[in-house]
Amino acid sequence: MGHRIPVCYTNCGDGEKLTMTGAVPLIRLENISKSFGSVYANEDVSLEIEEGKILALLGENGAGKSTLMSILAGQLQPDSGTIYLQGQPVVFSTTEKAISGGIGMVYQHFKLVDAMTVVENIFLGQKGASWLRWKEMRRAVRDLAELYGMDVDPAARISELSMGERQQVEILKLLHRKSSILIFDEPTAVLTPREADNLFATMKKMIELGKGIVFISHKLDEVMAIADNIAILRRGQIVDKIAADKVSSTAELAERMVGREVLLKVDRQPLEPRQIVLKVTGLSDSVLKEVTLSVRQGEILGLVGVAGNGQKPLVETICGLKKPTRDRVRILGMDWARFFKNPEWDKALSYIPEDRQGLATCQGLDLLDNFLLTTRDGFCKGPWLQRETARNKAVRVIEDFDIRPPDINAFAWQLSGGNLQKMVLAREFFRKPRLIVAEQPTQGLDIAATEDVWNLLLKAREAAGILLVTGDIAEALALSDRIGVMYNGRIVEIFYSDDEEKIDLIPQMMAGLRSSENSKT
Amino acid sequence: MSPEIIIPLLAAAVQSGTPILYATLGEIFTEKSGVLNLGVEGAMIIGALTGFLVSRYTGSPALGFLAAGVAGSLATALHGIVCLWFLGNQVVSGLALTILGAGLANYIGTPFVGLSAPGFSPFAVPFLSSIPFLGPVFFQHDILVYVSYCIPVVMVLFLTRTRFGLSLRAAGEYPAAATATGLNVIAYRWLGIVGGGFFMGLGGAYLSLAYTHLWTTNLTAGRGWIAVALVIFAFWRPGRAVFGAYLFGGIMALQLRMQASGTQISSSILLMLPYALTVFVLVLSSWRKGTSEEPAALGVNVEPTE
Repeated sequence: MGHRIPVCYTNCGDGEKLTMTGAVPLIRLENISKSFGSVYANEDVSLEIEEGKILALLGENGAGKSTLMSILAGQLQPDSGTIYLQGQPVVFSTTEKAISGGIGMVYQHFKLVDAMTVVENIFLGQKGASWLRWKEMRRAVRDLAELYGMDVDPAARISELSMGERQQVEILKLLHRKSSILIFDEPTAVLTPREADNLFATMKKMIELGKGIVFISHKLDEVMAIADNIAILRRGQIVDKIAADKVSSTAELAERMVGREVLLKVDRQPLEPRQIVLKVTGLSDSVLKEVTLSVRQGEILGLVGVAGNGQKPLVETICGLKKPTRDRVRILGMDWARFFKNPEWDKALSYIPEDRQGLATCQGLDLLDNFLLTTRDGFCKGPWLQRETARNKAVRVIEDFDIRPPDINAFAWQLSGGNLQKMVLAREFFRKPRLIVAEQPTQGLDIAATEDVWNLLLKAREAAGILLVTGDIAEALALSDRIGVMYNGRIVEIFYSDDEEKIDLIPQMMAGLRSSENSKT
Repeated sequence: MSPEIIIPLLAAAVQSGTPILYATLGEIFTEKSGVLNLGVEGAMIIGALTGFLVSRYTGSPALGFLAAGVAGSLATALHGIVCLWFLGNQVVSGLALTILGAGLANYIGTPFVGLSAPGFSPFAVPFLSSIPFLGPVFFQHDILVYVSYCIPVVMVLFLTRTRFGLSLRAAGEYPAAATATGLNVIAYRWLGIVGGGFFMGLGGAYLSLAYTHLWTTNLTAGRGWIAVALVIFAFWRPGRAVFGAYLFGGIMALQLRMQASGTQISSSILLMLPYALTVFVLVLSSWRKGTSEEPAALGVNVEPTE
């Protein structure tokens, strides 16, 4: 099935005020926009949250889901657009206002006090009598849990509870303060499959009792299983709004979610691939299952997949953060352990992490110190850093890579995302590595910076093999010589990036509908 | 040892443990809200001087005692301004308060060294004081000792049974969670600092109004620091603080008695005992941390919202 689904921007309609059933929606977002610097996190987003319905908000990491929900929860203010609460325009200038408007957030990182009991957490911050009557409070919590089909011991301490139970406490907290709209931010990420089933049962119960639910996720099967309506966010825009029963398969959802439209073209000439720089053979751990791949100097292997399907442990293993079983990973022909035993390994391997503010740079250091963080070769004499030599080199690199501001004394936090990423690339490429692992290198960057980063990666390919981990199919197609698709800890398939037939199947592979067993090349 | 020796010794332990108990309870209250205040010593000595002066000029030790609490609150409010308004380093600010308090109190107090003020005298509680053994140990003191018996109970009830206590503890455990439920974390930390400072001031006043009735330089003699250590020893529980305070009071009373009895042991060694015990006790309590109720966000500043 290679057909393209036309992209449908829903606000092209006349913006009718009522839902299909003719009721006033609990919450209506109208043309919400929010930008950070030159990047739109949300652009012209319109959504309705209805009573008794589960709205799934689907999108890749960085698509703008979290920003949108922070706006709804009163943590961020939109640049433009209006929120309507039961038909009345409102401004959620603080979290308290959103809470009293009935918005309840179930965060990914629970906001619970570990040292306190379930009851204490639920009653924390509630108005009422000064004297706490534990017995009555426990009974109230037990009754509420029972009503929604949850099983929580009100007297238990949070630190004793499993992740699933903690989440139930979060939910009870919101139900207790009579929130009418519950927003779940990737709620199943921390749950076992069984706990996830329980959660879905609870959510069903909640909509039966008239709550409205927003379910943020990128797990397609869960969305299909639970949602009534699905809205898809891509690059900050709602690209699709559909009723769940109109979606034929998860593959269709995957395609709608990742999109294929080409925004940017770079000139990629195939190079003669040379020796193998990375070879992974049958690597398995708690997430990964029999991962096999190889990268040659002169090529880019693009690894696509929905986040959380094993990309992280794979990258961490290759980059030396996680120990693999013996003989599974070979870098430059050496076994993993031998490669990383050599103190000079960092000359050969460069890691460009997804988290460029946290893992790749130190925000409070200037560009020179950030440059020296990983690249000290030639700038050392015994224990002493030769800062002057390094400074001259770094200044030239900053010029070459057109990093702005072109000021070696600028602090990392003063740079925009795109310039910081270019700085990281400049630093890593300076060492002339043989193997580069780049993780979501253009996430959150604007078009111009994306183009720069792409061209830099293509240039680096001449001397190195690159493993590009990305959730953006367009990026993988633009840069890769070969493409691998990951699903559920496996590499579903690896194929050449001019194989149109296979490319059309990427969404299905990402959704786990085709496994490597029945389509081995 | 015979009862004639042990009963007076234990009674003395209670008496010299009382100022430490006040200060320890104050520090527990402050730390429960998530603020580390190393200025206990400073707040105590300011309280001691204020109590002494007010009592001397008004003739009312009760008024002096209350004034000492207020002075302790005002002193620790400086710590609050640094940490809660300007997000300054809590350790440095606390140390500064200790140094400032000692310097200020000794400077203002210089003309009064050796002078006396009306203070509290012991009286036996009817019935209770006639209980064998317990009576003479616990119920033949001044009224401030009896007041100190009630404070741990009230504090535990406040912290665990009232909405405000729950919120105060949440501010010390996980400020983000408290904020998410709409609580004003900064306000509760102010309560922790100023409330705790009140008790520290009272502890100081006990020294100048009941333990002695006169003013000398360096009256607190490191008791504030012992209180800081005792908070850890007590695992942040007011009940355990009582035990710890009397333990230290006992050591202090013991070394005084040994000095008086003309022992061969050097007085320097004896004077060192309570502080050596502090180190020992800290090592001991970091071994078994299981039941500790240390606030998770202790010492972590909270950015004010808006």
